[in-house]
Amino acid sequence: MRMLNLTVNGRVHDVPVDDNELLLDVLRTKVGCTSVREGCGVGACGACTVLVDGRSVSSCLALAVRHDGAEIVTADGLPGDDAVVEAFVECGAMQCGYCIPGFVLMTHELLAENPQPDAEQIAAHLEGNICRCGTYPEICAAVTSAAARGARL
Amino acid sequence: MTETALREGGEEPAVGARWQRAAARGKVRGTTKYVADLPVPPCAQVAVYRSTRPHARILAVDVTQAAALPGVQAVVTGQDLFALLGERLLTGPAFADQPALAYDRVRYVGEPVAAVLARDLATARAAVDLIAVEYEDLEPVYDVETALKGEFFVHDVLRPSSVFGDLSHLRGKRDTNVCYEYNLRTGDVDAVPTDGVTTVSGEFWSPPVAHVPIELPCTTAWVEDDRLEILTTTQTPSYVRQAVADLLDLPLNKVRVRTSVLGGSFGSKMYDRLEPLAAALAWSQQTAVRLVATREEAFLLTTRHGAGVTSSMSADADGNIVAATADVAYDTGAFADVGPRITAKSGMVAAGPYRVENAWIRSRCIYTNKPSAGPFRGFGVPQVTWSHESLVDELARELGEDPAEFRRRHLLREGDEAPMGTVMHSADFVGCLDAVTDEIGWTTPYEKGEGRWRRGRGVAVGMKAVLTPTIANAVIQLNQDGSATLMISTVDMGQGSDTIMPQIVAEVLHLDEGSVRVVAADTDTTPYDTITAGSRSTYHTGNAVRAAAEKMRDKLVDLAAQRLGVAASDCKVTSGGVMSTTAQETVSISDLMHGHFGARGTTLTAEANFTTSWQPYDHETGRSRQVTEHWFAGAVAVEILVDTMTGRVKVEQLAVAGDVGRAINPTLVEQQLTGAAIMGIGHALFDELVFDQGQIVNGTLLDYQLPSVRDVPAKLTAHVIESAHRTGPFGAKGVGETGILAIAPAIANAVRDAVGVRITRLPLSPERVLEAMTEAGVS
Ligand code: FES
Ligand code: FES
Repeated sequence: MRMLNLTVNGRVHDVPVDDNELLLDVLRTKVGCTSVREGCGVGACGACTVLVDGRSVSSCLALAVRHDGAEIVTADGLPGDDAVVEAFVECGAMQCGYCIPGFVLMTHELLAENPQPDAEQIAAHLEGNICRCGTYPEICAAVTSAAARGARL
Repeated sequence: MTETALREGGEEPAVGARWQRAAARGKVRGTTKYVADLPVPPCAQVAVYRSTRPHARILAVDVTQAAALPGVQAVVTGQDLFALLGERLLTGPAFADQPALAYDRVRYVGEPVAAVLARDLATARAAVDLIAVEYEDLEPVYDVETALKGEFFVHDVLRPSSVFGDLSHLRGKRDTNVCYEYNLRTGDVDAVPTDGVTTVSGEFWSPPVAHVPIELPCTTAWVEDDRLEILTTTQTPSYVRQAVADLLDLPLNKVRVRTSVLGGSFGSKMYDRLEPLAAALAWSQQTAVRLVATREEAFLLTTRHGAGVTSSMSADADGNIVAATADVAYDTGAFADVGPRITAKSGMVAAGPYRVENAWIRSRCIYTNKPSAGPFRGFGVPQVTWSHESLVDELARELGEDPAEFRRRHLLREGDEAPMGTVMHSADFVGCLDAVTDEIGWTTPYEKGEGRWRRGRGVAVGMKAVLTPTIANAVIQLNQDGSATLMISTVDMGQGSDTIMPQIVAEVLHLDEGSVRVVAADTDTTPYDTITAGSRSTYHTGNAVRAAAEKMRDKLVDLAAQRLGVAASDCKVTSGGVMSTTAQETVSISDLMHGHFGARGTTLTAEANFTTSWQPYDHETGRSRQVTEHWFAGAVAVEILVDTMTGRVKVEQLAVAGDVGRAINPTLVEQQLTGAAIMGIGHALFDELVFDQGQIVNGTLLDYQLPSVRDVPAKLTAHVIESAHRTGPFGAKGVGETGILAIAPAIANAVRDAVGVRITRLPLSPERVLEAMTEAGVS
């Protein structure tokens, strides 16, 4: 056990963790961010996506201890009027909803790098995230709509 | 699509409106709580030792080392549970053939044999590695061909469960791997004159595939006084309560099953999954336990039946379809699960949605030593649709007819009797076919191309019966402030029941969007509902909800009539409250209830039941005048490109149509159709569980391919067809499965069109397409 310092959605947390604990489990059970979810455990679905210092990370593959001092953003910590969230809601970009927070964070990462992505760039950025409900058309529409709103974190 | 007219007073109707999905914002931000996110008591974490043999007798299970590991609270074997529960340990919806833990014999690689309860998962898993099992191998049955030879048997004796009464005649049957057989005999296929008859035939194969909802199965069970509480990812809470009560021999009111919205399911989270084991562990150890399947374990919990269909279709000289035959074999794996129902429900439509006078169908459910197959969106029908829609296409081509036009001539219409003897109503196959062929411009000429990429178009039609008979109940609690709480045991897994059931209530009671909330299924409070599956909820639970809302409306009208001193017939519910024409007065719901009860915060309840019945099919002929309560009708048209260098198929355009009777919420209907289509593209092009000696070899998401954003056609459209059902709520029927039925054959028919080869085995992987082209000498 050692103490880990994480800033999650702007709040500082000092949490005791084991060396082999995953960031996914620490965020879910010790910080309480249940928007971060396990879908595969092998980095192949994107349900566990978080932003670490602005970059998307599959938290199911990340050892928590490697992220001491990191600034982490999870979907539940986005501001109430977040443009990406608004765009997803308005475009009906959810069915069961389980995968969606991961897509929301991927969208933030994409728009930070490329504020006006075209369809190909959107697909290239989201292709590692799986939505088994097949909400892809609405998700892509939501990304375009968020870009038009000028999403900013 | 019909646009709904405004009601009197300019009020927007609720039914037919595009209400935003319930909890939309919570789902996007991730604040919606799924089962694994909800608070539970401190729990022992459970890891499961799974069989390493496909078929073997268990000689000994040594748990000494595992039990001695610090942090381990208990190690429980199948023998331990059998000693406690006896044959009650065997559960299952059709056959009581699944032990929560294997006790005498294992029947597939991955079958649970022992469970470790520990303070944390890492300890539990480490202890599992210390368990040693001694096996005596038995002859394995890996496929249906071996199973049908009847030399070795997966189960010694058939054990129908008490759930479906019509299977009881199979009790005690020995020396067979066929746990169910459905036969359809209509007309006489052998008596059809062969003169001028054109017959096409084929051997079709759909491989087993995995559901892979992104949410993993999770079950927590604990003992509270003398009751067992279960919080679990299930689409069948009422079933689970009964199954667990039977397992532990408890009265129903001592078992509480709760769930939450599910992160997808598609048939994977129903009947007996983690729940019997969790219940048996919690009860036997009198402690709280938590089981979460890893993705790899989830692959073992259930699959879609691999199915082979040997079939033919014949047309006479005038181009009338005169005969259809199909011999269908469903590989159900080690446990029947609901396979017998799938076998019958799919067998009866294996001749397709056509007017066919002579049909011979045999559909069998067959045990093998593989993980159990169960329900998967479409309930076995996509596998037979793969056969009949490939055949009818080939038959049209043989006859030199346009495949869409040929279908159109023969499709069942309102009032026609389908081959299994039931008369069609509210199943607009022609409307669906017209919508999709219009959308892709079927009759406009196109270039197939001569270079590397060849273009082709394909069409297919799907037909499925809704699960019948079933039972639904609804309780509405109207609150004094005019908001309402709806208690149903329907589980929202993404299909949208938490949105459309409130729309039905709001339509009847003239309530606003957002004013009706659905309570998460909880067998302590929400009433019995057969299952949330088979696209049945909109119609069945929808009817119960509508009836309950109508009773509530009548109560409000009575209260208003009393208060205003007018006749009840003079009062009606409007958006402002209850209005009396004579008294020229409208009383709001909140005033009405406050006046009646004399207090704020009071509630008024109304409840209703909706039960459907059927005429069981004749065991000899498979025919019934009413085999189902209603039908699903759908059609798909595609335009594709085939890369002749690599064999890769690219779906450029896909149009999918479904007859939903009436769309309660058109947006959600469209999403169900396109979502199913995208899943269906996976089934058509790459989805496949690969087995080697009964063992899954691609059971992780690194190896198992699922459709991604890359697989979505450049143009994808959903077409909502509404031929109202005479007894549907506002004419409505469900739609969850309609979109997936015909996707694979539509794509294969387009491949046939583009490069001239007929492929009968799914998926249409690049290797398979290339191989077929090479064999046919197509360059
Ligand atoms: S759970 Fe991390 S990528 Fe799937
Ligand atoms: S909305 Fe269900 S997995 Fe994406």
